Amino acid sequence: MTNPASSELMLRWRMLKDRLAQHMVAVGGIGVIVAIVLIAVYLVYVVLPMFEPATINKVASYALPASDTEPVYFSIEEQAEIGMLLDRNGKLVFFNTVDGTPVKEVRLAVPEGRTVTSLGRSDPTTGVLALGLSDGSALVFRHAYRISYPDDKRLITPVVEYPLGEKPIVVDPDGLPLLKLAIQLDEEQATLAAVTEAETLPIVHLAKEESLLEETVTWQSLYTHIPRPRDEVAFLLVGKLQRDLFVATDAGELSFYNISDWEEAPELLQKVSLVSQPATLTSLTFLAGDISLLAGASDGDIVQWFPVRDENGKRVLTRIRDFDDFKTPVNTIVQEQERKGFLATDRTGKVGLFHTTAHRTLLVESVSDKPILQAALAPRSNAMLLRDRDQIHFYKIHNEYPEVSWSSLWGKVWYESYPEPEYVWQSSSASNDFEPKLSLIPISFGTLKAAFYAMLIAMPLAIMGAIFTAHFMSPRLRQVVKPTIEIMEALPTVILGFLAGLWLAPFVENNLPGIFTLLIVMPFGLLFAAWSWHFLPAAVRHRIPDGWEAALLVPVIILLAYVSIEASPWLETSLFGGDIRVWLKQELGINYDQRNSIVVGLAMGFAVIPTIFSITEDAIFAVPSHLVRGSLALGATPWQTMMRVVLLTASPGIFSAVMIGLGRAVGETMIVLMATGNTPVMDFNIFEGMRTLSANIAVEMPESEVGSTHYRVLFLAALVLFAFTFMVNTLAEIVRQRLRKRYSNL
Amino acid sequence: MMEIEQNMQDTNMKSEIPLTHGININNLERSDSGRNRVEYETTIKVVDLDLYYGDKQALNKVNMEIPRHRVTAFIGPSGCGKSTLLRCFNRMNDLIDNIRIEGLISLDEEDIYSRTLNVADLRRRVGMVFQKPNPFPKTIYENVAYGLRILGVKDRRKIDESVENALRGAALWDEVKDRLQDNALGLSGGQQQRLVIARAIAVEPEVLLLDEPASALDPISTLKIEELIYELKDKYTIVIVTHNMQQAARVSDMTAFMYLGEVVEYADTNTLFTNPAQTQTEDYITGRYG
Repeated sequence: MTNPASSELMLRWRMLKDRLAQHMVAVGGIGVIVAIVLIAVYLVYVVLPMFEPATINKVASYALPASDTEPVYFSIEEQAEIGMLLDRNGKLVFFNTVDGTPVKEVRLAVPEGRTVTSLGRSDPTTGVLALGLSDGSALVFRHAYRISYPDDKRLITPVVEYPLGEKPIVVDPDGLPLLKLAIQLDEEQATLAAVTEAETLPIVHLAKEESLLEETVTWQSLYTHIPRPRDEVAFLLVGKLQRDLFVATDAGELSFYNISDWEEAPELLQKVSLVSQPATLTSLTFLAGDISLLAGASDGDIVQWFPVRDENGKRVLTRIRDFDDFKTPVNTIVQEQERKGFLATDRTGKVGLFHTTAHRTLLVESVSDKPILQAALAPRSNAMLLRDRDQIHFYKIHNEYPEVSWSSLWGKVWYESYPEPEYVWQSSSASNDFEPKLSLIPISFGTLKAAFYAMLIAMPLAIMGAIFTAHFMSPRLRQVVKPTIEIMEALPTVILGFLAGLWLAPFVENNLPGIFTLLIVMPFGLLFAAWSWHFLPAAVRHRIPDGWEAALLVPVIILLAYVSIEASPWLETSLFGGDIRVWLKQELGINYDQRNSIVVGLAMGFAVIPTIFSITEDAIFAVPSHLVRGSLALGATPWQTMMRVVLLTASPGIFSAVMIGLGRAVGETMIVLMATGNTPVMDFNIFEGMRTLSANIAVEMPESEVGSTHYRVLFLAALVLFAFTFMVNTLAEIVRQRLRKRYSNL
Repeated sequence: MMEIEQNMQDTNMKSEIPLTHGININNLERSDSGRNRVEYETTIKVVDLDLYYGDKQALNKVNMEIPRHRVTAFIGPSGCGKSTLLRCFNRMNDLIDNIRIEGLISLDEEDIYSRTLNVADLRRRVGMVFQKPNPFPKTIYENVAYGLRILGVKDRRKIDESVENALRGAALWDEVKDRLQDNALGLSGGQQQRLVIARAIAVEPEVLLLDEPASALDPISTLKIEELIYELKDKYTIVIVTHNMQQAARVSDMTAFMYLGEVVEYADTNTLFTNPAQTQTEDYITGRYG
């Protein structure tokens, strides 16, 4: 016997160890929970800013820098340091946006004796404007900014150029004053259209001609005209592709002309009323990209229109969506230059920021008690100038993520040039005018589709395999089979994806009839083999020990697979006219992609099988043998025992196996990345690929700008994935707990 | 082992308490007891049975006749082969690998190891109850109906009737009739064991094999089971394996004492306990080993 003191010490030491172990387990468990919560919190932290409304901060208000005449146009340069105003007499004043002090004044080369009668604006990114003159000509100029760094300080110098020469371009050969003017100018050509007193609206096309020898540039003019509407023309717009011409009256009657063919007379495509009667049209401008028109009405509505091709391929202007946040007439609408958003003001001094694709009103705020007469947005949409009767107000804008809204993420959105509202994921493009399509539906759908096909293949194989292994297989064979399948799980999925994409996909494509034959022949062939086994002479059957029969199926499987694949070309020739893909396309109208759901189902099924198999096998094997014996002792056959007792008792384990497998299939990245083709299509077609949430993140995250909308939407996709797997696992756990409670006395 | 011994002591201690239904088995007059064995009709006949687990012989030249509608008890020290012998009667030993059986066992003069015999059917005719209660994780009702369902009985009324009869037969009906749809795992150990007996008799077997049916139960439950066994023998041939000699003495009509895979003595219970023919038997029942 030990003495009491040392046994006391021993007891204490034991207690200490016990408590230490307890705390360590607790710390580990809590650590895991904290880590998961932190991940979720970080995802939410990155995602949340997208859903905040826009804010504006007033920086300064000051009187007009040049008080002598009335300004007609404002703009801001890229850095939002210098603003520009154009007055009625053709004077440009560049001024500091913060305090309104003039930086530079330029008097445009308006010829003597002519007056400025109108203003035409080209695409705002070009900085090209045109003054319509009283003699029917137009002075085209461009304002731009040079940036230099004297003494390492940024210096922005405004410059004014005349891209078509200082001599005004004749728009109306009859020499009537230009009352309204529209212009578009690019590197190669220009189009000007105008309204005069005459019964027709003159249009002039200019084509650039460069003389190689003299390095001089001349512009060739080509004149045409369209009839003038009965009512007075209020707005005249030429699209930046110089293909569309829009003429709108005060009442909102719009005529839509195709002027793309210079040789032919302009073609009237459509006449349409832009505003609901009795409202009148108070503002009309393009959205960035010059595809959509934004029409502001006297009842405060702002309506987006764009041409949609009808069944004959004709472009028809269609009313797409309304913004009715204003109650008084819309005064001005200014497009954002790089996004599908716009700024609008109304008669009561309210200003609003909107985004069309997201159909989102980001901000409506009253900034003045007087109507806003002109407004300008900086190219980066981070600052604006608002001018009421007496003053200019300079505001900074915080509006980083206007593209995101519930409807743009999860709803059908009618994108520009699409025939109808659709779910589309297309996050980026080479063009600046691109409308980001950020619907998470196609990629969520792709995730579920990939998981569905993977589970379709994995679940029956894994569960049935586990049943056989646990319940019928001899222990020695089981000792080989189980670890082998579990090793499959350790296989890096990048290898599986690589094999699926580079070997399996072409193989399936080349042997498609064989693959389908295999899917049909294999189960029946195996059943037939098992059935005929019973008719073999007993002497042969007794050679194989109990529980080893399954091994006999291996040569059968190999034979069936070989025969099916060998028969493939023959089947293709005899049944499908030589090429099953052509046959599918022609006879059934089904597209065949090389990287398709079959390939993903096979490859990802292969990855998911070990998970499901292993957990299911454990669950079935853990069914107490006294239950099995009890059932058999009642005269149940092994099959009845399996179905009625074993599976029932193992059901919590089987259920969680399936759920964990599903969670794995949903979150799997490398296989779907390499084997799906990554096309975000919404189609359940087994012969087409998909793009999953995880693969989408993997593909796009490296090229997305940190902190951009795209970046945050990818985080949102991650959050969706996280929420999805979390939900699946929670559901699995709840069901498992309930089932387990039922069998807890075992 | 400790538990079993404890159990035996408990049982021993309380065996003088009158049974719940007022029957004290020890005091019963048994008109059919005595040495008059010829009037018994044989249900199971064992002839020269040898059983091997691999190379090890577990049963050696067993010969015995089990009488119809009587309780036959197998006693003997652990590892003597009594459970193995019991499991031969419904071929539960088939589930064990590397087992080899020689000799003959017949049930109603039919060789149960014949190739033409359907094992599942045999097991229906020879029901079995194990040491540990093993109700299925289903409702009480479904547990009892299990045997009928696997036989393909679909008639709801017939199943209801059989379930009730079986539960009454197992003296459990009054306790569970209001909660037939409750999970069977919620019952106490003794109730579970009676439920298992009800489940076994629901398919109307001819023989009921009880493999230490009360060894995992408390004394009160044990007495209930014993009482039940006594009641069931009118309808069923019962074979019981027990560690508890008092139990064997109380419930059985015939007793076989087994030792090292051999049947040392097989006789009328009264005879075996009061006047054993073999010294080994006497040593065992007087507690000199075991």
